[in-house]
Amino acid sequence: MENNNKKNSVFYSYCLNPQVKFDTQEDSEKVYLLLRSHPFTQIGWILSSIFFFVLLFVLNLFLQSFLDSGQILIINLFFIVFILSYIWFNILSWYFNVGVITNKRVIDIDLHAVIYKEISDAQLGKIEDITVKSGGYLQSLFDYGSIFIQTAGAAVNIEFNNVPHPSDAVQVINNLLGKKHGS
Amino acid sequence: MDLKDIFFKIIIIIFAIFYFLYALVIAKQVKTMDKILQDKYNQLILLVTSMQVTVSLIILIMVLLSIIII
Repeated sequence: MENNNKKNSVFYSYCLNPQVKFDTQEDSEKVYLLLRSHPFTQIGWILSSIFFFVLLFVLNLFLQSFLDSGQILIINLFFIVFILSYIWFNILSWYFNVGVITNKRVIDIDLHAVIYKEISDAQLGKIEDITVKSGGYLQSLFDYGSIFIQTAGAAVNIEFNNVPHPSDAVQVINNLLGKKHGS
Repeated sequence: MDLKDIFFKIIIIIFAIFYFLYALVIAKQVKTMDKILQDKYNQLILLVTSMQVTVSLIILIMVLLSIIII
């Protein structure tokens, strides 16, 4: 872990030894790594937001012919509020979808569409297999990919999608596993 | 007031009410997530979410006032 030179990088989506806490954290539990989706994977909604602003501009050209100025002002206000809410919604989805790796377990916190949350965790001792999936031009270029953690028995499998530096993250987990099995 | 104005006002009232409810749900969810994960930007997230609720409430009041006055 100490050899991992990517301390805090890629717009706060790969944080080594972050100052975070979570509600089920035990007293002796230390967070080693916090992962979020790579910022590049957020490009879809960023482009959509820009498109909506352009659409609003174009819409204004047509609205002038059949609505009065007061109504156009209200439509603009509502449209801008809608776009800003859409941006904020996506930022929240990105910010609260995290993978947390501690010295005791691996936790996956998901916030689907902001209103559905799912929290799953696996003890380090129950991890059987870790797979990194990173393929394609963009994933290779920006160094991001998905990590699949298989656990023993009926324990839930953990999945971190589109996280930066997946190989380094797996190295962190393997180091923790080594320490755990070594102790 | 013609039919177009009435239709327009109904639409903006519905939008304002739904937007206010949406902002409340988001605020509630963010508060829950803030308890689940305490990160260094949580205060900023909570501040922006509170602003969203405030703006949605202002919009709702403005829309209702415009209906009553006009």
